[in-house]
Amino acid sequence: MSEMTDTLAVAQTGSEVVGASASLWSDAWRELRRRVIFWVSVAILLAMGLIAAFPALFTDRGSNDRCDVKLSKHGPSSWNPFATGGHPFGYDTHGCDYWAQIVHGARAPMIVGFVVTGIALTLATVLGSLSGYFGRWLDALISRITDIVFGLPLVLGALVILTAFPDHGVWTMSLVLGVLWWPTMTRLMRGQVLAVRDADYVQAARMLGAGDVRIMARHILPNAIAPVFVYAMLNVGVVIGYEATLDYLGVGLRYPTVSWGLQLSQAQELFTDYPYLLIYPAVLLTATVLSFLLLGDAVRDALDPKLR
Amino acid sequence: MVPVVLGTTFLIYVLVFALPGDPIRVLGGDKPMPPSVYQALRHHYHLDEPLIEQYCRYLLGLFRGDFGETLNGQSVSSLMASSWTVTVQLALTAWIFELVVGITLGVWAGLRKGGIVDSLVLSGTTFVIAVPAFVLGYSAQLVFGLKLGWFPTVGTDDGFPYSYLLPGMILGSLSLAYIARLTRTSLIENMRADYVRTALAKGLPRRRIVVRHTLRNSLIPVVTFLGIDLGNLLAGAIVIEGIFNLPGIGQQIFLAIQVKDGPTVVGITTFLVLIYLAANLVVDILYGALDPRIRYE
Amino acid sequence: MSVKKSRWLVSLTAVALAASACGGGGSGGTKDKSFSFAITEPEHLTPGNTNDGQGLNVDEALFDRLMALDPTGKPVPQEAESLTSTDQKVWTAKIKPGLTFHNGEPVTAQSYADAWNQAAYGPNGWGNNAYFATIDGYDDLNPSDEKAKPKADKLRGLKVVDDHTLQITLSKPFSQLPLVLSFAGTAPLPKAALSDLKGFEQKPIGNGPFMLDGAWEHNRQIKLKKFPGYKGPRPAHADGLTFKIYASRDAAYTDLQAGKVDFDSQIPAAKVPQAKRVLAKRFLSVPSGTMDFLEFPLYDKAFANPDLRKAISMAIDRQSIVDSVYNGAFKPVGSLLAPIVPGYRENACGEGCTYNPQAAKQLFDKAGGFNGTLHLMFSNADSTYEQWMTDIANQLKQNLGIKDIVFDKVQVSDYLTKLSDHKATGPYRSNWIMDYPSAEDYLTPRCTPPIRSGYDGAACLDLIKKGNAAGDPQQAQQYYQQAEDTVLKDMPLTPLWNWRDQAGYSNRVSNIDVDPYTMPLLRLDKVTVK
Repeated sequence: MSEMTDTLAVAQTGSEVVGASASLWSDAWRELRRRVIFWVSVAILLAMGLIAAFPALFTDRGSNDRCDVKLSKHGPSSWNPFATGGHPFGYDTHGCDYWAQIVHGARAPMIVGFVVTGIALTLATVLGSLSGYFGRWLDALISRITDIVFGLPLVLGALVILTAFPDHGVWTMSLVLGVLWWPTMTRLMRGQVLAVRDADYVQAARMLGAGDVRIMARHILPNAIAPVFVYAMLNVGVVIGYEATLDYLGVGLRYPTVSWGLQLSQAQELFTDYPYLLIYPAVLLTATVLSFLLLGDAVRDALDPKLR
Repeated sequence: MVPVVLGTTFLIYVLVFALPGDPIRVLGGDKPMPPSVYQALRHHYHLDEPLIEQYCRYLLGLFRGDFGETLNGQSVSSLMASSWTVTVQLALTAWIFELVVGITLGVWAGLRKGGIVDSLVLSGTTFVIAVPAFVLGYSAQLVFGLKLGWFPTVGTDDGFPYSYLLPGMILGSLSLAYIARLTRTSLIENMRADYVRTALAKGLPRRRIVVRHTLRNSLIPVVTFLGIDLGNLLAGAIVIEGIFNLPGIGQQIFLAIQVKDGPTVVGITTFLVLIYLAANLVVDILYGALDPRIRYE
Repeated sequence: MSVKKSRWLVSLTAVALAASACGGGGSGGTKDKSFSFAITEPEHLTPGNTNDGQGLNVDEALFDRLMALDPTGKPVPQEAESLTSTDQKVWTAKIKPGLTFHNGEPVTAQSYADAWNQAAYGPNGWGNNAYFATIDGYDDLNPSDEKAKPKADKLRGLKVVDDHTLQITLSKPFSQLPLVLSFAGTAPLPKAALSDLKGFEQKPIGNGPFMLDGAWEHNRQIKLKKFPGYKGPRPAHADGLTFKIYASRDAAYTDLQAGKVDFDSQIPAAKVPQAKRVLAKRFLSVPSGTMDFLEFPLYDKAFANPDLRKAISMAIDRQSIVDSVYNGAFKPVGSLLAPIVPGYRENACGEGCTYNPQAAKQLFDKAGGFNGTLHLMFSNADSTYEQWMTDIANQLKQNLGIKDIVFDKVQVSDYLTKLSDHKATGPYRSNWIMDYPSAEDYLTPRCTPPIRSGYDGAACLDLIKKGNAAGDPQQAQQYYQQAEDTVLKDMPLTPLWNWRDQAGYSNRVSNIDVDPYTMPLLRLDKVTVK
């Protein structure tokens, strides 16, 4: 999945970024402010973030709390959430209040999405800049390693490693995925650094006697990072979808963790008889992923003057 | 290319080796296995040797075209031969689907930027990317297969291409979304290029400009994507083949990981990597053909 | 250009629709009176090596044995004329004359001796090796020291008296032998098998009502046709039988719904309500011999107190879980035996297996409660395990107040190793699949060392041995029941529920005769095709 977005992001944002970064971002912000879709996705993401961070604001139950298996698969008594006696989404397969479970299910995918992207972004920034800036043997070495990890299909790698460490929780899982996720971003970063490395202002800085670290930190990174950053934003959504798929394949998260992916994978085989079990988590998951994608799209468009 | 193949296979080999559990005990089912039987089987599959020895033995076999033996005594080569045909047919269906429909939608949306078609394509493709593939797969199977009866639901009984149409479309839908968007953006960018303005000024009809000039340039990133995507389709098959019961490599590798069947996992992965590398090579060559500025010395 | 392409797509889809509309219907042409049976990929087909349910389904069609089980679970002769013993130790089997393998070779006492010797020889690594452990001389073929070479490669206890007489000497009296010999893994092998075992595995030559038509097409199908030279007691009514191989039970069920496979013996639990609706009378629910238990690692100090184990057992509401996870199809039990086994007593366990949250909590507190994290362990072989373990976890949390419960979901390949190495982290799922309908089959593994739970089964093993030696079935049963009571009192494991198999068939086939005493559930020979 990530590989796919790679070319996409390169093709769409890969053109050389010209001009000082400050004005680039402030231009982009002026552009963004006017777009409805930007505000809608920001609003959805803030809501989801709030649910994930403070579930207690939305339900008085803990996760897997006060479940009664006798109530298993009892759907909401009415489609009007205010007429359901405090159980707007009914009960899940274990007789737990579904609304509470879904509220608690937001945290795991969010953490995985951000942590995986964070790890990948950090690795990519470091490795990509090093290999793009210094070139030669370091570039060759890093590029070969990137190729090897890249050659391993992501689903497959994740499947094998997560199977090997069956005791993984949210954090271990994020770590595993993060370690597999960096090659795409690294390639993107390297390309960006290559593009700005020989720009006039970099040459000028070098002639003025700036050291490698200063050039990288002050001149190259700020100008190279924008497309990678946008890619990372899109990527959070992709990772969340990915986490759900791994849950579905049975190597993802597990009890007592609650997550939308787990709920989905359990609901899919009951879809014909209990559609609500699938619909609620599916809508929330899709809305979240969609918001990340739309937000990323909007920021990218705003950053790219040519598309205006 | 050689280091990548060696590196990736070794990586997978080590990972499989690190998998917990004892594949031999699985063969015994729920009953305890007599120690004599256990020892005999371990020896047969060389599981009593150190990792490096096993890997070297495996590599040597690979050079002779021998992919080893699965844990129920089948040869991995014959297993792969039968399952690869299924996956190749599936991937091909998906690939053609995403290529034709994706580019068509992308061009259509790109030429009418900001119009209804454009918005529909944009929102539709974003939606497809956002819904997990397995949810999409199950829903499509239920609606188009069982409820409406338009497509075969599972298995390969109806042969190529009917059995592969629905799973192929689901498998290709994600990439289709990317291709449509990629084509669209690329086309929009190219339509603004100087040569298009010149051509327009010269009085060439718009249709001719699009077909003869812009499209060819816009397809360069799409070609890259299509090449890389072949490898992705094969990996995505793990999910789709499970839902539609297609006995392809995705199924095989998923089951093999479950029972720690090393030879099968490594064999299939090696093949995946080779195909991925071959696809990249083809893309590089195609690049040259499409863009005369790129030439290899 | 875009218009042209989309039109092309429309016509492509139209073709697809037309084609799929004509497709469907049964497998094969209209004149072919053969039917299909859904399985997943078997591990093996050679009888002595086949211990997975899928392979055994196929072997049931391909092979006859000395004995078979009738629809009430009693052993009746199949290829044997008689199987007799006076002391339960030396048994004499007379084989019917005139029986042949699919290649025309006659079935003799030697065919049986050859097959059993192959399976019992340790270094062959065959799956059904342990079934022959009661025969005299087994230890010489299977030295307990892993490095040692076996002293013999033939079972001393097998004596071919003449072509049609086989004398079987056991190392200890064992009254249940006729039941063991009804197992498909004890089928005879023709000479052709011994010279090319690898080839035989791909294209087995049996002696049953159906014979192979082609070879085993891995992950696709195993095609069989009626064996014209069959002289045994169960000739095939259909012209052929194809085992269609599916990747998952879900996929098989989907095909059954679409009418593309004629019999599915394992409809997934989650699909049962739908299957009842869609298949109506063609949906079958068959009692099964399979049991689920929750077993305790007695070697862990935390579970050493029997009262604690009993408290946990009493805090589980089996009926509600069965209703939720298995749609009420499975049967909550208070016995170590399945209800289809002679000697089964309804709730032999008494209050220890009866849901009573208040009493459970009292007992739990009396036993000192449970500190720390409770691990519940199960394998990932089936998705329903996680579902009911979740329910058990929630109930233990609710009824006993155990706060911190986590899952230890183990890879199938690792699960049994962990259990037999005494590495369980907490109570775990344990199950028993019936080999033959005898209390002995259910109790022996509970009491014979090495026992996974670390339970000291000496007292109960004594009683089982008495039962094995008893000539009178009534008396044997009494000893077995005493043994069961001993185990239930100590509760190294608590019974949860007894499975039911959910099957369904297409409207192409009739004479569907199902019972739990044949591996495929379905009496394959009786099926007729419309």
